[in-house]
Amino acid sequence: MNEFIEQFLIEARELVEQGTDDLLALETRPDDRERLDSAFRAFHTLKGAAGIIDFAAMARALHAAEDVLSAVRNAAEPVTPALIGDGLSALDQVLQWLDAIEATGEPPMDADTAADAIVARFAGMPAAPVEAETVQPATQAWLDALLTAFPDAGDRATVALVYRPAADSFFRQRDPLALVEGVPGLLGLRLTPSEAWPDLDLFDPFTCQLTVTALSTAPRSEVEQALQPVLDQIELVDLSPGLPGGPPVHQALLEAQILMLGVADADGLSGRMASAARVCANLLRNLDRAAEIVPVELALARSLDAGNAAPLTAAIRALIDQPVAPSEASPALPVPTPLETARSLRIDVERIDALVRLTGELTVIKNAIGHLAGQTEDGADAKVLAARLKDQHGLLDRLVGEFHHAVLSIRVLPLRHVFQRFPRLVRELGLSLGKPVELIVEGDETQADKAIVEGLFEPLLHVVRNAVDHGLEDAGTRAASGKPPTGQIRLRAERRGEHVVIEVEDDGGGVDVARVRQVAEARGVATAQTLAALSEAGVIDLIFAPGFSTAAQVTDVSGRGVGMDAVRAAVERMGGRATIVNRPGLGAAVRFTLPFSVMMSRVMTVEAAGQAFGVPLEAVIETVRIPRDSILPVGAAQAFVLRGRTIPLLDLANTLGTRESARHTDDAIVVVAQVAGQRVGLEVDRLGGRMDVMLKPMEGLLAGMRGVAGTTLLGDGRVLIVLDLQELLE
Amino acid sequence: MSVSQLEDGTIVLEGVCPIEDAEPLLRLLSSGPGAVVDWRECDGAHTAIVQLLMASGARLQGPPRGRFLDRFVGPALRGSQT
Repeated sequence: MNEFIEQFLIEARELVEQGTDDLLALETRPDDRERLDSAFRAFHTLKGAAGIIDFAAMARALHAAEDVLSAVRNAAEPVTPALIGDGLSALDQVLQWLDAIEATGEPPMDADTAADAIVARFAGMPAAPVEAETVQPATQAWLDALLTAFPDAGDRATVALVYRPAADSFFRQRDPLALVEGVPGLLGLRLTPSEAWPDLDLFDPFTCQLTVTALSTAPRSEVEQALQPVLDQIELVDLSPGLPGGPPVHQALLEAQILMLGVADADGLSGRMASAARVCANLLRNLDRAAEIVPVELALARSLDAGNAAPLTAAIRALIDQPVAPSEASPALPVPTPLETARSLRIDVERIDALVRLTGELTVIKNAIGHLAGQTEDGADAKVLAARLKDQHGLLDRLVGEFHHAVLSIRVLPLRHVFQRFPRLVRELGLSLGKPVELIVEGDETQADKAIVEGLFEPLLHVVRNAVDHGLEDAGTRAASGKPPTGQIRLRAERRGEHVVIEVEDDGGGVDVARVRQVAEARGVATAQTLAALSEAGVIDLIFAPGFSTAAQVTDVSGRGVGMDAVRAAVERMGGRATIVNRPGLGAAVRFTLPFSVMMSRVMTVEAAGQAFGVPLEAVIETVRIPRDSILPVGAAQAFVLRGRTIPLLDLANTLGTRESARHTDDAIVVVAQVAGQRVGLEVDRLGGRMDVMLKPMEGLLAGMRGVAGTTLLGDGRVLIVLDLQELLE
Repeated sequence: MSVSQLEDGTIVLEGVCPIEDAEPLLRLLSSGPGAVVDWRECDGAHTAIVQLLMASGARLQGPPRGRFLDRFVGPALRGSQT
């Protein structure tokens, strides 16, 4: 990919972020002039950037958005939720294009259709050219049955669909109903057997024998998009909302109001506005859309105040454009793409300067050592030389430390990079689950290693989704316990020493421990006996156990089945821990404690079977000497008792498969480590010191070796193998 | 496993029932006529499961917990029985 495109991608992503931020802020404060200007600038600059790389479709789509924002700036149009939604979807589309460019290095060829849809949205027209399909008699049967089944919905529906899944759909990993569930604006559903049901004895559960018919209020293009993978098995019929003969009349009536308001005559304007609003209200009541009267009346009030028909005109225009309020829409959850791995970084010049300075100092030391080498040849006094060498070593030591620090800090990113995706997602989650939610982000400037920032999105998404879905109570329960109706999710990051702590906290009802017990037992995560012995915290921790969360709870969000066990696994892969802090009645917090840097590890060196090994220091609890006669055989294995606790004992040399070493010592030297929540004792021959190591992952033939996290070189040239205890003990 | 049977014969669907549950459910449904299926704890079900509920004509004890099931699938199943 050429540098030009790379630069474009970096800038465009920043602009999309900026635009998204601004639009979300505008949604809460529609009068925020500064945000409006900033959003306009973001769209405008994005459009310009698209022009520079000759991506006409993107420029066209953004131009349409820019026009509307410009109208808003000139106060010709109000900021409506619909406008915010359109703006956000336009930015979403831009992101998809950017991903495509990043993947191929070129603007996608098929961008025109998507651009058309965006332009149409902003132009206030139904997206995608609607081929007026006359209803053929052949299709009538299912349609009639559907309209009869939902007499009320028939008036509001824009599209009717019949989906005849192929008999082998299940084998193709399709779940037809799940696809239909994703259709926006679903009003009603009918299920019919494709053929008469066979006897249960002859029933093949893996053959799809259902036909699905449904009504939706969404535009045809959106329905098509939701059913994209199976469009060949689908028949869509356009229905005009307000059948029969309704929409043209209604639309014409609304258009007439706009015309009337547009007459440039100050006389009787307020009377005309009131009358137009009354006509709209009557019309809406007649269409059974009384809920939409309120915005019209609000717009009327604003128009009357301002002596200007613009707000009311816009409200009426919105009625024409949006046939039905999306309140009934089924929860079509956003399917976010995983965080793109930033292949290029923006780095503070100061950090580069620090590297340059350090390189200079290293050169000085190199010269000094060269000088010393020369002196050695000339037969200088060994003691003096040794002292000078030691000095230089001290200097070098300090410089390498600083160098290391400087290099790592280049890999450091603020967590903002991952946090900024959440306001948008939480907004959509809240809408789709019908729960008002407010997201409070704290400490998004906290920094962490690039690998961590990039690895955090998926586990965080899952936890946030859980917090909104299961953490926050419904409105009724909240009111009963005296909480404000809007639930709060806090996304918080904080640096604590060598760790970064990230929390997702909700102000819901907290974890229902009794329910966790129940579910854990029902799903076979733990036996009743184990459960009885567990402390409350232990029970809550079972939420992270494999098999506790049902896979499909999250499939609609992340696109594949992951439970909280996957969250914990992801966090542990990054060298961190995931825990839950419960405050019954007040909410719960999921806490990730992650290392600040993933490249540097602190290890304790041990020796076993004549080889040096490193054990990650964060896993080591203590080292003890155990008299041989206190080691008890347990079946084929061994264990010992430490302060009233039985701990299994493993011989490290044996575990690694090296030759068993003869024991001469009276006491066993044991490293007690915590691995995946369990304590385990590792017998070693000798204990070494602690050291900081830069791990080199195993490569080539050794890459697949289990139980080894990586290697590093010791001062005497020996290789230190750093163990991955969790993998080793599995 | 999200399909189980109580002592009184009621079949219970819990959580999200994937396609893997279709076979055990079919076994339970065909073991006796007039089966009762309690899906109050059910969050979601694969089409294969819904299709089985429909073909067997089992009596459903609801409402199911999943929104889609409750709002759309439940009514569709009831509609098919009349």
